Amino acid sequence: MKRILSDVINSGKMYMRSTVGTFFTLVFPVLLILLFGAIFSNIGSQSISLKVQNLDDGPYSQMLTAILNETGIVNLREIPQPEDIIEYINDESLSVALFIPANFSENIMAMQTNSSLSLPVTLILYGDFTSSSFTTARTALDAASSIMNYNLSGAHQMIFVQSASAVPSESFQFMDFFLPGIIGLTIMTTTLFGMTSMCAEYRSRGYFKLLATTTLSKSEWLVSRFLIYTIILLVSILITVAVGVFVFDMSATLTPLVLAFLAIGVLLFAGIGMLLGTVIRDPETGVAIANAIGFPMMFLSGSFFEIASFPPYMQTVAQFLPLTYLNDGLRDTMIYGNTESALGNMAVMIVIAVIFFVLASKLMSWKEK
Amino acid sequence: MSGNSNGYAVEVERLAKHYPPDIRAVDDISFEIKRGIVFSMLGPNGAGKTTTVEILEGLRSPTSGKVSVMGENILKSCSKIRKKVGILPQDFEPFDLLKPVEAVTYWANLFSIDISRKEVNRRIGEVNLTDRKNVMAKKLSGGEKRKLGIAMALVNDPELLFLDEPTTGLDPKARRDIWRLIEDVGRRGSTVLLTTHYLDEAEKLSDDVAIMHKGKIIAQGTPEDLVAEYGKSTVIVLVGAGRKGLDEVRAFGVQATELDGDVLISCKTRAEMRSCFEKLASLEAPIRDIYTKRETLEDVFLNLIGQKMENGVLQE
Ligand SMILES: Nc1ncnc2c1ncn2[C@@H]1O[C@H](COP(=O)(O)OP(=O)(O)OP(=O)(O)O)[C@@H](O)[C@H]1O
Ligand SMILES: [Mg+2]
Repeated sequence: MKRILSDVINSGKMYMRSTVGTFFTLVFPVLLILLFGAIFSNIGSQSISLKVQNLDDGPYSQMLTAILNETGIVNLREIPQPEDIIEYINDESLSVALFIPANFSENIMAMQTNSSLSLPVTLILYGDFTSSSFTTARTALDAASSIMNYNLSGAHQMIFVQSASAVPSESFQFMDFFLPGIIGLTIMTTTLFGMTSMCAEYRSRGYFKLLATTTLSKSEWLVSRFLIYTIILLVSILITVAVGVFVFDMSATLTPLVLAFLAIGVLLFAGIGMLLGTVIRDPETGVAIANAIGFPMMFLSGSFFEIASFPPYMQTVAQFLPLTYLNDGLRDTMIYGNTESALGNMAVMIVIAVIFFVLASKLMSWKEK
Repeated sequence: MSGNSNGYAVEVERLAKHYPPDIRAVDDISFEIKRGIVFSMLGPNGAGKTTTVEILEGLRSPTSGKVSVMGENILKSCSKIRKKVGILPQDFEPFDLLKPVEAVTYWANLFSIDISRKEVNRRIGEVNLTDRKNVMAKKLSGGEKRKLGIAMALVNDPELLFLDEPTTGLDPKARRDIWRLIEDVGRRGSTVLLTTHYLDEAEKLSDDVAIMHKGKIIAQGTPEDLVAEYGKSTVIVLVGAGRKGLDEVRAFGVQATELDGDVLISCKTRAEMRSCFEKLASLEAPIRDIYTKRETLEDVFLNLIGQKMENGVLQE
């Protein structure tokens, strides 16, 4: 135990002192989050996109949309009339949508001619109250409706704005979707590249031989590697999620399953890395092959983009990449809260992890030929 | 010392290591190392020293032969001897991103030893690295790295210490520091197996020397025995004695030759040399100087291997 602990501490020190290590584990994911966050999130941009379903064909809905457009805060887009708005929100994962009822203009005109009439003239703003786009849209709509109230009736309140919670069951922003992808990616790059180059370096510089002269056993060393990567990556995940949540208002949750995915992901990719670093005699070739496997896998396993949006043949390729299961599993648990599906992905990973890790640790030898 | 004590720290029987296609790195050698002695393996590049030593260390597997280290069969139970053995590999490289203090602490912990800061400092002082103890290892010089390696090899107070070329590339002062350290380890009763190209080192430090060449041990014994057995003799040189001197010496009944105006007298034994000096006391021929040339391990080595040496280092 003491040996393992000391190995974790000292190898951890070496890891944190190496620039490559800190880059892939701590700097890279935060950079990605910041980069994609600035591109895709609402924050910092002037206007939000607001989808509108307008069932009214009279002049007043035209007037409303014109005013809304003029605020410059919202960018209106139309939802086709036949769609069911709630379903549409779900399907498109919208965080906000405006509904203009069919009798909007008609009722306003009726009340203008007969001021004793009280007809419902209600706009409904559907969406996720907690999202920032909803708040922005609500502000714009409130402003637009008071302008109309003022013009139509001399500040007599005629148009009501009602908020209706419509959080799509699978509601997530692009950034929410992106966060687990970055975590999966970081687990993969850190352990795959890390282990490949570590094994190559330990062999070529004689560190394995040196360790073999001590009472540290190979299995203790493997446990220590596992602990180091798990701990370092846990820190990385916490930082990445913190940046995502606090800077970009993402809504991913850290479940206990995330920790399980982390542990299994470390085993899996460390196993592949070890295999490459061990089987391939030339260290540089080993690292090159790890890169050749790792970088395409980043993209093909849906770290950045949904696999569903890939062409079919690439979707087939994705099914054979272990990172796909890590990314999907992390999304299942962090975004959709779908434990069952997460466990399914985890099961696939466990099988692959066991195969690679056992194979690699069997083939790895500290002795010279 | 260890329970299974039979007086030998290392026993090697008909050890061989072959590499494809037909390299016989170690070619059927047998030897023993008594406990508590300093044993040197001397040999030119490629003689098979490192291969032999690494097999003894349990870091390579032999093609054939029996090897027992500290009474244990190394092929079966090399984990049992780890605690008792300290190793400095020939190609030792410290971990770049650890400082000497950290590396020594780490290494002690890997032997399950709790080590105090004071003890770490003492061990670093032992190899004269105190000024450099907080410098990242990648910034140490080659010699300083080697010293760190020796401190790491000693961290478990080994009963048997393997040093594969501990002083290659060190400056003369550093070499002498290491020699003193090896002598201390020897005095503490530990066994040391040393490989070296330096003959003065082997001659000064070792109780027993094996000369290896092309995978075989071609001579073995104490430095004195080797000189006596394979060396030719001691030569007395009478500088400037000339023809006259030669005649005079021959008149004493002593065998002598003249070379460039000097007279050379060859003595096989000490007694012969003593009697020779007694006779020379009455020599009348003018001489500028008298000195003796004793054959050293270096001459033995050269006689045996027939290669040329410069400054005590074997040249290929
Ligand atoms: N892994 C290997 N594969 C093939 N040949 C090897 C291997 N290791 C050593 N040899 C060969 O075995 C022979 C002995 O090598 P070894 O390293 O034991 O010599 P050495 O006496 O330690 O030499 P040096 O003084 O240069 O350190 C050499 O001819 C070397 O080329
Ligand atoms: Mg060698």
